[in-house]
Amino acid sequence: MTTLRLSGITVSYGTRCALDEVSLVVPSGSLVAILGPSGCGKTSLLMAIAGLLPLEGGSIMVGSRELSGSKKSVPPEQRGIGWVPQEASLFPHLSVGDNIGFGMSKGRRRNERVEELTKLIGLEGFGERSPAQLSGGQAQRVALARALAPSPDVLLLDEPFGALDSVLRHSLARDVARVLREEDTTAILVTHDREEALDIADWVAVMDQGRIVQVGTPVEIYESPSTPWVASFVGDTVELSGVWRSDSLDCTQCGSQEFCGPGENRPGCTGHVMCALGDVAATAKGVEPRDGDTVRVVVRPEWLVPSSSSGVPATVRGVSYAGHDALVEFDLTGHPERVRARIAAPFLPSVGQGFHLALRHPALVFPAHPQNAALL
Amino acid sequence: MEKVRGKEKPRLWLVLSATVAIAVVSIPLVYLVARGSELSAGQILQVLSRPRVGELALNTVGLSLAVSVTAVVLGTAIAGILTRVRLRYGKTLLLISALPLAVPSYLASYGWLVAVPGLQGFIPSYVLLTAVTVPYVTLPVAAALRGTSADGESVARTLGLGPIRAFASVTWPQVRPAAVAGGLLVFLYTLSDFGLVAMLRYETLTWGIQQAYAASFDRSQAAILALLLVVIALVVVIAERGARRQVRRTTATHISTEMISAPWRTVALALVALPPVVGVLIPLGGLGVRLVGAETIREVDLSRLALATGVTVGASALAAIVALIIALPLAALAARYSNRWVGVLETLGYLPHAVPGIVVGLSLVFFSLSVVPALYQTMVVLVFAYAVLFMPKALGTARSSIESVSPDLISVARTLGSSPLRAWARVTLPLALPGFGIGALLVAITTMKELPATLLLRPTGVNTLATELWSRTSAGEFGAAAPYAAVLVLVAAIPAMILSGVRSVAKEEM
Repeated sequence: MTTLRLSGITVSYGTRCALDEVSLVVPSGSLVAILGPSGCGKTSLLMAIAGLLPLEGGSIMVGSRELSGSKKSVPPEQRGIGWVPQEASLFPHLSVGDNIGFGMSKGRRRNERVEELTKLIGLEGFGERSPAQLSGGQAQRVALARALAPSPDVLLLDEPFGALDSVLRHSLARDVARVLREEDTTAILVTHDREEALDIADWVAVMDQGRIVQVGTPVEIYESPSTPWVASFVGDTVELSGVWRSDSLDCTQCGSQEFCGPGENRPGCTGHVMCALGDVAATAKGVEPRDGDTVRVVVRPEWLVPSSSSGVPATVRGVSYAGHDALVEFDLTGHPERVRARIAAPFLPSVGQGFHLALRHPALVFPAHPQNAALL
Repeated sequence: MEKVRGKEKPRLWLVLSATVAIAVVSIPLVYLVARGSELSAGQILQVLSRPRVGELALNTVGLSLAVSVTAVVLGTAIAGILTRVRLRYGKTLLLISALPLAVPSYLASYGWLVAVPGLQGFIPSYVLLTAVTVPYVTLPVAAALRGTSADGESVARTLGLGPIRAFASVTWPQVRPAAVAGGLLVFLYTLSDFGLVAMLRYETLTWGIQQAYAASFDRSQAAILALLLVVIALVVVIAERGARRQVRRTTATHISTEMISAPWRTVALALVALPPVVGVLIPLGGLGVRLVGAETIREVDLSRLALATGVTVGASALAAIVALIIALPLAALAARYSNRWVGVLETLGYLPHAVPGIVVGLSLVFFSLSVVPALYQTMVVLVFAYAVLFMPKALGTARSSIESVSPDLISVARTLGSSPLRAWARVTLPLALPGFGIGALLVAITTMKELPATLLLRPTGVNTLATELWSRTSAGEFGAAAPYAAVLVLVAAIPAMILSGVRSVAKEEM
């Protein structure tokens, strides 16, 4: 078993705290994405796990083996943890094959493993080439194979696709996820690209300012973010203010019913809010507002759909076109607030058109004052 | 992405070996100061108050100031021409303007004396030293100008400034640190020059030290003069540090070169050509004419020439190896870690740059006589002197070549199972080795040209090419000196020229 357990690890540079009591469990064989903005401590976390950065507190365990603890720290070369840095960082003086085999002792086993891995990453016949002859994507694959060669217990990937163009990075990210599953490797992927994280990870941990703010499946992170900050970091949001009502709406009357029935990942509701979108089903997470409290209402643009029968009247104010869909901005009749809805191409409305907008998913409810929200 | 480097504490053994290296290279200076402090204040004052000493000091400072100010003005102008004016063969011109660096000053003065036997005094010394040292300013300023966008200057022109004022108000502040640092090198070079001023009979402190050492049994006078020279050098180094204001450069997106009219282009080319003609072409021409003269061919003593060449090359190779060994722990430490102690060690590592060769030579005479008499006048002390003097050249290149190996590569090697030492051997060493080689070569080339310390420290009867050239010339045997000068050009100057073509960094280090 190669489950990785981080318990309350703390790292700081001088007075600045880079990691503040971070705890995380990465189950054996799974891929966890660490998602966060620049400077949130993602890279520090990986370097601490790799033993390249000393801990000030907490412990790191792989299976039942303690790598970093209060007393000892196993040096990087004895940890059994692989690392794929931001830039591929291939050894420029060694061939592709020697790069992949760097972490293994010379012999037949090494040659076989190098051959097996070059095949796995789709670079057969590249063994003799020098790293300078590789494209960015190829170099990243070699860096991955090099880290996998000694069969590490845990693999760390630090924004491995950051330097690549967007088309390449998505296909490479899927390739890497496939390779990791085939090798049954426990892995942590650090990224600031939310689509990449939601797409390939089994679990996503969102980090901000040296702390882990939320851990969950990609669906949980996107549909039930624990704070408004997480909500806006992992996707587009529409924010409104509203008044909380603790009683639920009649399900047969509720616009969210078709997304709210029984089944996995169904959001459900804990009450409803009165806001510019009318009376809509809502879920308050981590907070218990009292009946009549003013709250912050957050919905996703794709939860809003044009409707002829239900919802509130709205007029198209502007369309920001993105090819496959568009974010359409609406003025809500009788309300100063505006909302944006994601509408799939090719049936895009034009400016000035009138619609009814309905919410098809329970709204998310957070405390009204942003300064309170930040403390969550 | 946050960068999390340089926070690791340096390993104790590395800090210790770097500290030992510094202690070793500090021996000459420390020993000289220790000896100086044994002298009574009265003794020191008595020497310093001699009018002769004041004259020597004034000559030295005057010459050094005149040469370095001229070099800064001329070098900046030449660099401006080379980078901002549209000229054919621009790259070749830059290479040609670096040539004077390869010619040791005494070789230039020898060449001129062959052509114009009566030369002596301030003016010839000033002109020749300026010609030989201008590249110390030209090269770094040209590099800075190439890295500086000309856009700012164009904007200043559109705002109503003339070309000169636009340069002064926009570009000069950005290249000033490079020009001033180059000027400092010129000052230190002139201050410690011995061969050229001695041949041209212009009496400076280095000449005075040599005279005092050779002429009297009381060597405290030589020691006091040497200390005076060191004090002047250190004052200038510290003053330059204080005056250094680093300006953040605007990055060059494009560099526009200006067309200028034909007559002005001729003037510009003449200015660029001036130092190489005065410092290289005329001296080497004089040497060449002398070399093929019948008198020279009759006088040449081939076995003596071969011996001197062997000694020169052998001692230089040894010095290069020793200098590299001393420089390595310092370079490894400075390239990877930064804290106050590492900063102090690195600064001390560059200190020998400021210490004139004659001072190191004199101090090691005292040191070997009283501490290790068995080594007095042996090759061991001579090679050690070379290593101390030129170690900074190896330090610079070794440091930058270790630095150019990304720390990520080391971290990757560590996570792949290599211990720190093994990661160094498998990754850092193979990648930095070419840089180490160039550093060692720089030391070797510079060592071959060294004169004043060699004169003081060489074992009796052993001669290098430089000392043979020196003794022939001071005896007035210009013809007999020619073969030594020619071989010196062959073994030292030509590799230096090639090296300066290979690596732009190297040019600034020579």
